[in-house]
Amino acid sequence: MNGTNLLDIRDLRVSPRGMTETAILRGVTFSVAPGETLAVVGESGCGKSMASLAVMGLLPPGLERRSGDILFRGEPLPVDDNTAMRKVRGRRIGMVFQEPMAALNPVYTIGHQVAEVILEHEDISAAEARLRVVELLREVGLPSPDRIIDEYPHRLSGGQRQRVVIAMALACKPDLLIADEPTTALDVTVQAQIMRLLKRAQNELGIAIILITHNLGLVAQMADRVVVMYAGHKVEEASVQTLFASPQHPYTQGLLRATPRPGRRRAGGKPLEEIPGMVPAITDPPSGCRFRPRCPRATRECETVHPAVRQVGDTIVACHHPGRLEAVQ
Amino acid sequence: MPRLVAISRTIFSNWTLALGVLLLLAIILMALSAPYVFPGDPYDMVAPALTWPGTMPEVPLGTDSLGRDIAAGIFHGARVSLMVGFIAVCFALVIGILVGSLAGYYGGWVDDVLMRVTELFQTIPQFMLAIVIIAVLGTSIEAVVMSLGIVSWPTVARLVRSEFLILRERAFVHSCLVIGMSDLRIIFTQILPNALSSITVMSSVLMATAILMESALSFLGFGDPNVITWGTMIGMGRGQIRDAWYIIAIPGAALLITALALNLVGEGLNDALNPRLRKREV
Amino acid sequence: MSYLGKRLVHVVLTVLGIAIINFFLLQLAPGDAADVLAGEAGTADPEYLANLRREFGLDQPMLHQLWAFLQRLFMFDFGYSYRHNMPVSTLIFERIPATLILVGSSIAMALVFGILLGVVAARTAGRLPDKLISLASLLFYATPPFWIGLMMIVVFSVKLGWTPTGGMSDIISNKTGLAYVLDVMRHLALPAITQAVFYLAIYTRLVRAGMLEVLSLEYIRVARAKGISENRIAYHHALRNAIFPLITVAGTNLGAFLGGAVLTETVFSWPGVGRLMFDAMFQRDLNLLLSILVLSSIFVVLVNLAVDLLYALINPTVELR
Ligand SMILES: Nc1ncnc2c1ncn2[C@@H]1O[C@H](COP(=O)(O)OP(=O)(O)O)[C@@H](O)[C@H]1O
Ligand code: SF4
Ligand SMILES: [Mg+2]
Repeated sequence: MNGTNLLDIRDLRVSPRGMTETAILRGVTFSVAPGETLAVVGESGCGKSMASLAVMGLLPPGLERRSGDILFRGEPLPVDDNTAMRKVRGRRIGMVFQEPMAALNPVYTIGHQVAEVILEHEDISAAEARLRVVELLREVGLPSPDRIIDEYPHRLSGGQRQRVVIAMALACKPDLLIADEPTTALDVTVQAQIMRLLKRAQNELGIAIILITHNLGLVAQMADRVVVMYAGHKVEEASVQTLFASPQHPYTQGLLRATPRPGRRRAGGKPLEEIPGMVPAITDPPSGCRFRPRCPRATRECETVHPAVRQVGDTIVACHHPGRLEAVQ
Repeated sequence: MPRLVAISRTIFSNWTLALGVLLLLAIILMALSAPYVFPGDPYDMVAPALTWPGTMPEVPLGTDSLGRDIAAGIFHGARVSLMVGFIAVCFALVIGILVGSLAGYYGGWVDDVLMRVTELFQTIPQFMLAIVIIAVLGTSIEAVVMSLGIVSWPTVARLVRSEFLILRERAFVHSCLVIGMSDLRIIFTQILPNALSSITVMSSVLMATAILMESALSFLGFGDPNVITWGTMIGMGRGQIRDAWYIIAIPGAALLITALALNLVGEGLNDALNPRLRKREV
Repeated sequence: MSYLGKRLVHVVLTVLGIAIINFFLLQLAPGDAADVLAGEAGTADPEYLANLRREFGLDQPMLHQLWAFLQRLFMFDFGYSYRHNMPVSTLIFERIPATLILVGSSIAMALVFGILLGVVAARTAGRLPDKLISLASLLFYATPPFWIGLMMIVVFSVKLGWTPTGGMSDIISNKTGLAYVLDVMRHLALPAITQAVFYLAIYTRLVRAGMLEVLSLEYIRVARAKGISENRIAYHHALRNAIFPLITVAGTNLGAFLGGAVLTETVFSWPGVGRLMFDAMFQRDLNLLLSILVLSSIFVVLVNLAVDLLYALINPTVELR
């Protein structure tokens, strides 16, 4: 698979520094093909952001990568070497974050901040960079780019700021864009616009996207493949069609049942159901399967043996009793 | 005594606080024991003038140019420093809490007026104002305490006000209003106790500042001439700076240790009482 | 009303408030203002006193007196110092350059080192350099600055003989031009360092706290994700935002320069306003003391205004309205 994949994450483990027992990521494996959109879903606190920051080599100071390779175009990424990673960040991999209101430095103009990434990675003059920035701002759909380029961030709305952040992430035409909940903080209408922008950028530039979200509605619109994460584990991975048509893991099924989807479960008149319970604290994980305390299907085996990842049909799943919920009941 | 155990556990799990408390206790002990360890007047001549420290067992820290025992001065000076600092801070707390709590609780024009006055006092350079107040009131220990209190209260007022602005929006205050509790009772029995941890932290740092300012005033010769203080000792030692620098060095070190102890206590308390602030440092 | 207009009204009101506080301080002093003003002249000639009283309207009701006081103040008429035999305003203004050199150079030094140390401490938060810097700034914060000055005299003047013990220049050797400047700088070294240590402890802590706060913000993470170097992130992205509180505090220190160096000037016999104040205190020249206090407070107000305007210039999120 290596030869064709853009990004391979193999058995990634991340722990708080100096704590060998607890872990935030407990062996996560997935890959991204060039040009595809991979959605990573899961409740808040499951480790989605930390997985993407590990790829960027930007784990917070309290956390460290215990093991696991991260390959980019088949080559290991030097995630522990900050100087080497700087050539990857912003150039090969762009990143968009959750909080557009806080994502821009308040004391520098939009133009300065977008040009900064171009000047960092490419050998061009400031004047050329400025022309590129105006063009970029136009492409991400900002009104009157030649005026907005000299504005300070506080004059822009949240949606406009997120467009600027996207412009920065795309400025050097990266191969991969990691978007960590890019629309969670935005209005629904703005959300749709931003998603359309990402889709268009992907079509034009041919970039791959890792879309981190807990909005399964977005996943259905945007993604080719889906990875479901729970408490630091990948619990299910499948193509978007397969996942929505026949989710295998009880957690995935729970997430789907908690999501309003026009025309599907609603028609059957079933109300939305929240998954009972909460994501376990990383310091105090349950034995066996991490999902066991919340799982309607848990058995004795689930209590003692942690389920290994395996292939079931077109799906990769980590569960002792995968399959349709109805079938088991 | 589970409470005491809990307190001492906090103290010893936090080395800043532990060191600060230990140093402070030592200085308090010095102050309390001064009349017994050195019963005479510290201004009396007890040994040959300019005896270097460590050369005469009777006067371990040596003597100054008039043969006065420096160790006695340090012990008696500790009394004055701590007392002046403590009373000045109490004085500042009374005014500051009154002004700050009224401003923060009532808001509106009360807040406007009180804060304008507070700002006004903060505009006037602190140390100069202290000097001028002493010039007006005369050089007595009461005047020194008064002047230090007057220059310190605005800091208290601003802190108390900002705490009150936050606390008065809390649910428990609303429920007190609903049951018809009087404003004064709410201020003093409900909100103030919640602001106490911040006030305590600030008080210890404020006391350090007051003690340093007192020493500066006495060093300049604006203190009470009848009371021996560390600042006075440094001021009187200036003439011998060429050949007997220890006369200056020893009381200065005592001042440094006292101010350090109070700052450590302040910082340690801050860490112990406001863990959310500490997280940021990691 | 425009922002500037509002600020100017505020300035006028503040100055008025300061004047009133001073007026009442004067009232608090034993005897009336005429006694105070004439007392230090050495002569208590009753006729002269009566003249003074009439001149200052002291036989008038309190409000009248306050009005007269304010009028003189706004004319910069601080009266006459019999001790020094010249008008108080001349006396003070003559001393301003010396104090300004001392305080200005020490604030500049403290800014440079405070920023450097604060940034290093924040970038190594929790590790050895941070611990050393934080310990040092705590020590400096707890040390009486005049004592640091005296100890430096012991080491650098008495033991090593590198620097003079006081004054602003060698009186005997009447130097001119560059030689004079160098001579002043040699005299300035110790007092400026003494005064700087006082500011340095505060500035370092302020910068460290500000940097820690800013470095945890989202836009710093975004900058890292752009591939920007850690140095550029610290100095270009974080420091630019962390420096605003420092500007306010340094501005206040600069505004308070007249009274800011009383101790340092006394320790090093530096011929500035602080030293003048010390002398005035000993000569019981209350009028001179109060004049220095008023003038000094007015400087604080004016410099604060200037700093606020500067702040708005360099901080785009602040808009003057
Ligand atoms: N700096 C940190 N130190 C220790 N634990 C952290 C830190 N940051 C996040 N975590 C923990 O890592 C886990 C995963 O967090 P995250 O990746 O942000 O979740 P998600 O993005 O899926 O919501 C959470 O349990 C969180 O508490
Ligand atoms: S392994 Fe067991 S507990 Fe875990 S999800 Fe599957 S059925 Fe539920
Ligand atoms: Mg997240």
